Amino acid sequence: MTALRQSLELGLSLCRTCGLVVPRASLRIDRRCPRCRSGIEQRTPFSTEKTLAWLIAGIVLYIPANLLPVMHTSGLLGEQDSTILGGILEFWRSGDWDIALLIFTASVAVPFTKFIAIGLLLLTVRKSSRWQQHQRTVLYRVVEFIGYWSMLDVIVVALTAALMQFQVLGAAEPRAGIAFFCAVVVVTMLSALSFDPRLIWDRPA
Amino acid sequence: MALCRRCDAVLARYFGANAESGLALVCAAAIFFAIANLTPILSIDVAGIETQANVWFAVRSLQQGWISVAAVGLAFTTFLIPAVQIALLFWVLLFARVGHRPPGFGPIMRLLHHMRPWSMTEVFLLGALVAIVKLANWVPITAGPGIWAIAALTTVLALLGRCDPESWWSIARAVKP
Repeated sequence: MTALRQSLELGLSLCRTCGLVVPRASLRIDRRCPRCRSGIEQRTPFSTEKTLAWLIAGIVLYIPANLLPVMHTSGLLGEQDSTILGGILEFWRSGDWDIALLIFTASVAVPFTKFIAIGLLLLTVRKSSRWQQHQRTVLYRVVEFIGYWSMLDVIVVALTAALMQFQVLGAAEPRAGIAFFCAVVVVTMLSALSFDPRLIWDRPA
Repeated sequence: MALCRRCDAVLARYFGANAESGLALVCAAAIFFAIANLTPILSIDVAGIETQANVWFAVRSLQQGWISVAAVGLAFTTFLIPAVQIALLFWVLLFARVGHRPPGFGPIMRLLHHMRPWSMTEVFLLGALVAIVKLANWVPITAGPGIWAIAALTTVLALLGRCDPESWWSIARAVKP
């Protein structure tokens, strides 16, 4: 396995958009892919900086997303503001532990996994660490895959608000927390997409 | 299926489809998309008053002051991006079927590549199922034809999604430029 050579040594470049492998010497001055015209870079420029910036933005936005209510319900049983965690607890208490677990996974476990995993990847890449390179590449793919499932709560709130419109009997309205939560999903996805997984395998110069 | 020797990532996968079966899948996706957006996905009936919801109603319900940024996010990921994906794939495969590279092939392929992570139809399906269980405790809620259409759309898009951008390039390479 250690005998595998990197494209750097072979003088090849990969187009990350269409997957074409191009000999670096054949690239024109504009460094565009001959097939799809995307810019080709040996490594995505400022990848770790962009990833870190989006990651910090995601962590900051996650705080109001959890502290502010995501939904306001009113009806015969009175008025109530509910947060994401409050909603999960309510499901848990009423016996719907499976739904509680599902929402907990999508809204709490997935964002936290992303924060920790991307942080770990950034830290190890900065140190050009050779520790668990294979596992870290898999970790990156997991982060990419689970990312968008966090949108679940936004969709549930939107559907509930769309359906519960019986003024006196019961009505639901979205609240600010859901906008922050939607932003967390988008920003953490941008963070993961900014990361160039090839950095995991780079040896210190 | 070809795997990376170093990290086991899928590099290429046998898709077993040509432009023709791809086109059939895209047409199916377009029909399911239309049904999902024209019929209710969920509906509630309380004392003779009925409310319905589908993707578009869900987006509309988030339009409130600056919370509308969430409406924009939802509209993009569950409506706009899937719609554009289906339209662009139809365009590309229609030309591939008669043996041509369509106008704007390169930019379209780039756009398709960049849109892929942002298409969230399957998350919407799960969200609708959660909403059913959540609301069923209080009100009589029924699933409309839209939910089957969303489920079918998810399946068809997943089949099309298995086909990575590289194999679309090779479909187009097989035809006259």
